[in-house]
Parts: sequence; C-alpha cells; structure tokens
Amino acid sequence: MNPDFPILTLLLFLPLVGGLSVALLWRNPATARFFALLVGLAELALGAWLGSSAPAAGPTGYFLYQDLPWIERFGIRYTLGMDGISLVLVLLTAFITVIAMLLFWQEVKERVALYFALLLATETGILGVFLSLDLFLFYLFWEAMLIPMFFLIGIWGNGRKLYSAVKFFLYTFIGSLLMLVAIIVLYLMHGAQTGSYSFALAELVHTQVPYTTGLWLFAAFLLALGVKFPLVPLHGWLPDAYCDSPSAGTVVLAGILAKTAAYALIRFAYPLLPEAAHAFTPVIYVCAVIGIVYGAWVAFAQTDMKRLVAYSSVSHMGFIALGIAAWSPVALSGAVLQMVNHGITTGALFVMVGMLAERTEDRESLHYGGLWGKVPVLAFFFLFFNMASAGLPGLNNFVGEFLVLVGTFRVAPGAALGAFLGIVLTLVYTVRLVQDILFGTPSQPVSLSDLSLRESATLASLAVIGVYLGVHPAPVLDLIKVPIALLTKA
Amino acid sequence: MTTYLSLMLLIPLFGGVLNALVGRNLPRRLAESLACAAVWGSFVCAVLAALAYHGPEKVVVAQWFQAFDLALPLSLYLDPLSLSLCLMICFVCGLIHLYSVFYMAAEADYARFFALLNLFVFAMLSLVLAENLVLLYLGWEGVGFCSYLLIGFWYTEKENADAGRKAFITTRIGDTALMVALAWLFQLFGTLSITQLNGMGFLLPAGIVTALGLLMLAGAIGKSAQLPLMVWLPDAMAGPTPVSAMIHAATMVTAGVYLLARMYPLIGSSTVTTSAIAIVGGLTAFYGASCALAQRDLKRVLAFSTISQIGYMMLGVGAGAITAATFHLLVHAFFKALLFLGAGCVITAMHHEQDIFRMGGLRRTLPITFWCFLAGAACLAGLPLTGGFFSKDSILTALWMKGTALTQALYFLGLLTALITAFYSFRMVYLVFFGSNAHQQGHHEQSDVLPMELVLIPLALLGLFGGVLDLPGYLGGGFLGSFLGPLSGAHPVEASHTEELALQGVAATLALAGVFAAHVRYGGAARDNRLQESLLKPAPLVAFLLNGWYFDALYRALLIRPYQALSRVLWQQVDEGVINGGIDRLADGVGSTGSWLGRWTTGQVAVYLLSFAAGGALLLGYLAWRSL
Repeated sequence: MNPDFPILTLLLFLPLVGGLSVALLWRNPATARFFALLVGLAELALGAWLGSSAPAAGPTGYFLYQDLPWIERFGIRYTLGMDGISLVLVLLTAFITVIAMLLFWQEVKERVALYFALLLATETGILGVFLSLDLFLFYLFWEAMLIPMFFLIGIWGNGRKLYSAVKFFLYTFIGSLLMLVAIIVLYLMHGAQTGSYSFALAELVHTQVPYTTGLWLFAAFLLALGVKFPLVPLHGWLPDAYCDSPSAGTVVLAGILAKTAAYALIRFAYPLLPEAAHAFTPVIYVCAVIGIVYGAWVAFAQTDMKRLVAYSSVSHMGFIALGIAAWSPVALSGAVLQMVNHGITTGALFVMVGMLAERTEDRESLHYGGLWGKVPVLAFFFLFFNMASAGLPGLNNFVGEFLVLVGTFRVAPGAALGAFLGIVLTLVYTVRLVQDILFGTPSQPVSLSDLSLRESATLASLAVIGVYLGVHPAPVLDLIKVPIALLTKA
Repeated sequence: MTTYLSLMLLIPLFGGVLNALVGRNLPRRLAESLACAAVWGSFVCAVLAALAYHGPEKVVVAQWFQAFDLALPLSLYLDPLSLSLCLMICFVCGLIHLYSVFYMAAEADYARFFALLNLFVFAMLSLVLAENLVLLYLGWEGVGFCSYLLIGFWYTEKENADAGRKAFITTRIGDTALMVALAWLFQLFGTLSITQLNGMGFLLPAGIVTALGLLMLAGAIGKSAQLPLMVWLPDAMAGPTPVSAMIHAATMVTAGVYLLARMYPLIGSSTVTTSAIAIVGGLTAFYGASCALAQRDLKRVLAFSTISQIGYMMLGVGAGAITAATFHLLVHAFFKALLFLGAGCVITAMHHEQDIFRMGGLRRTLPITFWCFLAGAACLAGLPLTGGFFSKDSILTALWMKGTALTQALYFLGLLTALITAFYSFRMVYLVFFGSNAHQQGHHEQSDVLPMELVLIPLALLGLFGGVLDLPGYLGGGFLGSFLGPLSGAHPVEASHTEELALQGVAATLALAGVFAAHVRYGGAARDNRLQESLLKPAPLVAFLLNGWYFDALYRALLIRPYQALSRVLWQQVDEGVINGGIDRLADGVGSTGSWLGRWTTGQVAVYLLSFAAGGALLLGYLAWRSL
C-alpha cells in the first residue's frame, strides 16, 4: 500500500458517497437496496482489510494517520487517525450497518433509496467520530450523525415518531452545544497559553487548565456524552427513540451510535481533562451503578419487548461507564471490549425483537408464547442472544463484564459491589422475556414463519462472533492493548 | 494426560453442540447413540487418566483471555479429588443417558434433551477439572444454564418453565457471591489459579479469609440448595426424572460441596467460616429431612432428602473432614441416582402418577425396581453395612471427634436427622411398594420398564458396597482416605477403634429404630389407616412441613412481590413521571416554548435542517470574530 494514499479518507467517506449514489437511484428501489448493500459490504471489506494488513502501531498507538490543513486561519485541521480502539469500533460499525440492512431488507416500503442513503450517511457520521483527532472535526461528525438518524426516526418510524425524533434531537443537540462551548474554551485557553490556536487533540492535551475551570469543562463534556451514552438520569430520550425508530435504525442506535459517547469519553474527555475526570469519577460511578440496577429493574416491568431491550441497553451501558470510570488497564480493556460485545448482543436482540414485530406487528411480549416449538430456529437464536446478554460464560458479554468488574473491584470495591447486583437483576428480566416469548402457550394464537435462509445466515454470523469473542477474545484485547496502556499510562 | 483431560471435556461438548445444531435432522437412534457415546467416551478418558495417574498434575490447554496482568489460562488440574469425581460423574451420567433413551422414548424433542444432557456433563466436568476459578465459574454457570432448560424441558406448562426460571435465578444469587470472591481474590493475589491461591491463604489477615470463605459458602449455598437458598430444588422436580437424577441429585448440587472442599486449604483456617459451613449443613440436613417426612409426591420426598444429604456433606466440610464429605458425596451420587431412576420406573409404570398415597403393591409388579429401590432406601436410611452407613457415619464421627461444643451439638442434630431419614425412607418404601395396588389396577407395562430397571442394578451394587471405598479403621481402613488424605489440607482427629465402633453402634441403632418406627406406622395394616388419613385435610404441622416451612411464601411476600411492585413504580412513577414528564413539562412550561415545540413537531423537517445550518453558521461566525 502506498503510504501516501488517503486510505482513511476513503474508509470514512465511502458510505457517504455510496449513500448519495444510492439516493440517485430513487426511481428503482430494488437496485438501490442492492447497491446500498454493496457499499456496506465494500466498507466492511475495506475495514477488515485494513485490520488485517495495517502496519505495526507506532509509539503513539496509531497505525494509520492522515493530517491535512483545512481551515488554517482557525487552526482547524483535517486529522484522522486509527489506533486499535478505533479499528475495533470501525469494524463493529461497518458490520452492524450491514447486518441492519440485511435483516430489515424489506422493512421499509416507501422512499427506499432515501432510507438506505440515510443509513449509509449515518455510518459516515459515526465513523467520523471514531477516526477524528481534531476536535472541530470530531464535533462536526458528532452533530452530523444526528441528522440522518433524526430523519430515519421521523420519517420511517412508528408510534409517536415525530415526538420521539424531536426529543432525541433536542436532548442530544442541547447536550452537544455545551460540549462545543467546552471545546471552544479549551481552544482559546490553549491558544492564549501557547500562541498557536489549534483544535488538534495532540495539542490540546497540553493545555494548562485551572482546576475549577476544568471541572466546568468536564461537566459540559460529561453532560453531552452522558446524554448519548446514556447515563441515568439523562436517558429520557432513549426508550422513545429506540421504540419508535424503524428496526434497522434501532439496531444502529443501540449497536453503534451509543458507543460514540463512550469512545469520546475515552478518547477526548479523559485525556483532555484528567484532573477533572478524576474529580468526577465518583459521579460516574454512581451514575453507572444506578444505571445498571435501575435499567435492569425497570426493564423487568416492560411488556413491550422493544422497550424492555431498550432499558436493558441502559443497564448494560452502565458496565461500560463503570469500566471507564475505574480507568485501570483491566477495567478499561473490559469497557472497550464490552462496547463491541454490547454492539453485537444488544444489536442482535433488537434485530430479533424487530423480526418478531415485523412478522406479527405486535411487540407485546405477553401476546407471544410457546414459540420454541413453532419456530425452532428463531427460538434458538432468541435464547442464544438473551443468554449472551445475561453474561453466560463462554459467550461474549461475560468476558467484558468480568474484566470490568474485576478491574473496577481493584480500585473501587464499593462501586463494583453495586454492579455485581446487576448480574442477578439482568438474569431476572432476561429469563422473564425468554419465558414470555418461547415457553408456555400463547394467550392468543400467533402465526409466524421461521427464519429465512438470509435471516438465519445473518444471525448465525452474529452468533459466531458472539461465541468467538467469548472463547477467544484475544484478537480484540491485543488490538486495544497498546492504546489502553498509553491512555492509562500503564 | 493433556489429551485425556481435553478429550474428556471436548467429547461431550462436541456431542452437545452437534445435537443442538443438527440433532433434529438426525435419525432418532443416531442422536441418542451420539449422546450416550459422548459420555461413555468421556468415561473412557477418565479411566485412562486414572490409569496414567502418578500424582497431582496441572495442564494448560490454551489461553482463554488476557488483559494486562489478568491472565486466564484454560488450565486443568487432576488430583485425587477431581479424579474421583470425574470417574463418578462420567459413570453415573453415562448410566443416566442410557436410562434416558428408554425413559424419553416417546419424546419428540429428543435432540434438545440429549444436547442439554451432554452439555451438562461438559459443564460439570469443567467445573471439577478447572484449575482456574474462572473456568470453574464457567462450569458453575453452565450447569445452571443446562438445568434451567432441563427443568423447564416440558416448557408448554407454565409451572415447569417457572421452576426452571426459579432455579436459574436462585442459584445465580449464590453465583454472584462467588463472583465477588473471585474479584476480591484477584485484587489480593493477582491470580485466580486454584493451586496458587490454596498455597497463599496464610498471607492474609484472618478477617479477609473469613469474608472470602463466607462468600464462597454463599455460592455453595445457592448451587447446593442449602438454607436459605434451597427453595429451587423441590420445584426442580418438574423436569424429566432422569434430569432430576443427574442434575438435582448426583452431580450439580454437589458442586457447592466440591467448591468448598477444593478451596478448603484457603478458607479452612477460619473457624468462623468452618463453623458457618457446619451450621448451615446441620440445619439444612434437619430441614430437608423434616420436610421429606410430610411430602406426598415421590420425587419431592427425594428432592428434600437430597437437600438433607447435601447438608451432611456440608457438615463434613465444616468439621474439616474433607475425605468423609467426599466419600458421602460419591456414595450419595450412586444411591440417589438409583432412587431417582427407580422412581422414574415407578412413575412410568404408574402412568405418571407421583403421589405415594396413590401407589401400592409394586413390589410384586416391579420386583427388580423394588429390590433396587430398597437398596437405595437402605443406603439413604444408613442401615448398617451399606455404603450410606459408612459414609454418613464417617461425617458424624468426624464431628464428634472434633470435640467443640458446636460440633458435638451438631453431631446430635445429625443423629436426630439420621433417625428421621431412616423413618421417611421406609415410609416411602412401604407406601409405594407394599399393600395392594388399590388405586391403579394392573396396567403396569413391565416390558417398557425392564430396560430401565437394568440400569438400576449397577447403581444398587455401588450404593450397597460403596462402603469399601473407605472402610473404618477397625475394618482395615479405607482406600479413599489414603488416596485423598494428604491433599485435603485438613487433619481431622482420628478416632480410636473403640470410639469408632461405639459411634457406629449408636448410628446403627438409630437407623434401625427409624426403620422400625416406619414399619409400625406404615407397614401392614397400619398402612391402610394412613391412606384413610391422607384423604383428610393435613394438620397444621404437616402442612408446614409439606410446604417446606413456608419459605416460598415468605420469599414471595418479602422479595418477589416488592421487586415486581417496585419495578412498576420505578417505571411509571420515576421514569415516565419524573425523568420523562419532567422534561416534557420543562419543554411545555417555558412560556411559548410549548406551542413553539408543537409547531416544530408538525413535521416541517426542513425547519430542523435550516435551524441546524443557522446554528452552525452562527458558531463559525463567532469563531471567526473571536480569532480576528
């Protein structure tokens, strides 16, 4: 590979450009679909190829890097970089996008081309967050990914789709504005101190931030990222947005969009404001533990399957927040690994719930029952992903949760103890859902078809990854090891 | 050795996965043979490993995962304890697999059943062979998962699914305590290797050792169905009878005892912990036996007797008599599997009738079952010279010899329990096999039952003569004692021959007294009176025992109901009310914002884009102005 070839730019904008071309095919929905899938697959292939052939990481941890001046007047640069953490999340993004497209192939009947174009545009937005190393660029992508998502919910959603879309948008947008202010303050402080105005992460980390100012700035970051994360009690938008979004949108929202906040916390907020982050650690611990317990507890009360999985997602994200707050090598490795695991498992659960809803147009879990005997393949996968979600050892979530818990226990036993409670509570709502859907007899006869070959194959790919990451997570752990060692100075 | 041990685990794993994925499309005979062959293949590996055994050996099969200083190898450990358990597990489970082929002959969903049975064997063996606590935890959760699906195997009945769910959740409460212990051990030592941890206990302050021991005890209480987490086991009888025999008698429930025995070198130095183990064991033994007295469902009698017998094993561990506890664990596995499988024959012959008061006269129609069941009951009752007699007695002897006020009090509790045990064992025998078959008139399909009955015979022989594994000192001492002895880390006081004889004399007398009492109350003509009484409403004390001291009702009122109610409150009041409603009110409340928002939500999506662009432009403008 020619070292000057802007491979990261290609990786970043391929979905967007592809998406624009898809939009041009609006007269021909079937072609648009196939073309969109092709773009998604090409992106996944490119990511996989980069992952397998990337040169060794340098001392900074980045093995791919691109830096061009952009708006020089304000010190804004077009800086992209890929280290192990970015790579893992880029792969997850490309994979989940393809999964979402494949599994909800026919879900949307109207304005198909636009729908797929927006899905691909969202992908570019998310990838931008994972690849930017300039805070201005990062913020741009951070906001940009909201827009296609907003339309996906607003146009193709169900239920109170506009209410949910606006709520989602306002919540995240208001939070983000605070973050923008914090970024600008940092930029100005750094400029005043050094005379060189720059948005580059590598520059801004050297800013001398007075303690109190740092606290305010970190609070702004935390608020913005906490909304998208979501940290309880900033999750108010989530159940509505997840439920009213079209199924593919929910999978993207839960599977990857939520990870952008965790990623930004690790990549930007902590390194930029380490002292303030340290001061805020107890707050994050409390939010994380409450999130784990509260999410699981509220999930138990849900009979709308999609809402149940939405709250379970809140609970699972709490583990990620816990691992980040602990900021020890083991716990942080667990948190990053758990970002991938959550993407796979919760993504798959939303897929399954979406499939059931697609078949029966009913999301009420109590209306189902006895599916085990009727649709064995669907039932098998449903059980599988629920057990993965409940942290059964041998499957993916266990490894991440274990690392987070053990790593956190070392530095903050009290916080970890609260989180241990989540292990039991997760199982409680999981087996309730499984029983509602698979066991017993339905209160009213439900007729649905078992999985098609396309669906089985796609779910099987998710399941294989689930087992692989449960049995042999070394590839991911090895990739993220260097960046995490640098971040935690281990 | 690595090969034998890996294969021992991999063969049932492979069999289980294969049956789970494609079993439905395989011919029935092939799926069944595959499952049986897998377990017997494991047994062969276990025997080969035993033959090649020279001393404790640790093998690292592969790396599981590693993050910085947390390295978790898939390492296995073969020592006398794990070896003897592996042999027992493979053998008993192998027999139960064979039995299942006949018992489940009419079941359409055979692939799922055998897949889960095989996976269960895999999980149990990895639990026992694990050298690493996290691998042990994998097996530990694995057996929980398999039992969840096997208890609820006939999932269309709500009660069965509920029972499976109850078992999974209840045991997981204990599992979580174990997980906390794991995290703590890693924090203290930076390793989770069992052999290393067992050698490092002396480095810790006594308080921490005690706390760790109590956490592990909590884990064991869940899995081994001890007070106060025993509520799941009686309900677990909802599963098919071979499942009850395999999981809820012979293997899974012993996992807790195994854990404590395995970690004894680490936790045994705390007298608080050992006393707690002994107290839990003693109380549970009494609890289980007392409940078994009043049960009418044959399988529930056996379930409570399992709870009670595991209590004895815990007593043994608490007394530091690891060998005695292991001895009883092994013998119990044989005779309890025997009793459950025998019960399966009875239930099949009775067309799924499980009420012992509606049975009778089966000694004539099912002679093989009768004699085998009688052997099992004799072991359970601890009749002299049976395996159950020697194993139970070695625990009681150890308790007495330990000589503290606590252990001697528990010794008397154990003796009382032994008396009750003998009584309820023979109550069961008299009600099921004696008298006339009043309620079921001669429809017993003996030919169907015969192949299942054949499986009982080797178990009966092992139960009866299992005592030779570890004979008392005056009969020449035991093989198991010398085999396990040097490794258990505990040194119970040896009893002299006279003391031993005296103690065994007491135990034997009580067992015989219990049988005699059962004969007086349930034998001969008295049996018919009891049948008459059984039609009446049970007395309050009987109802109390029948309902397991009302623990279920207590937990429902104290834990389950409040949890359910609070979950709705959290959702509807807190989440919908405060968090969501607050935001909505905030949006509506700010003067015109409400209507403004309303206008926004009319779907004028272009407005959003426009305002977003405007916002961005303003921002850029501000930046430009600042930097000029």
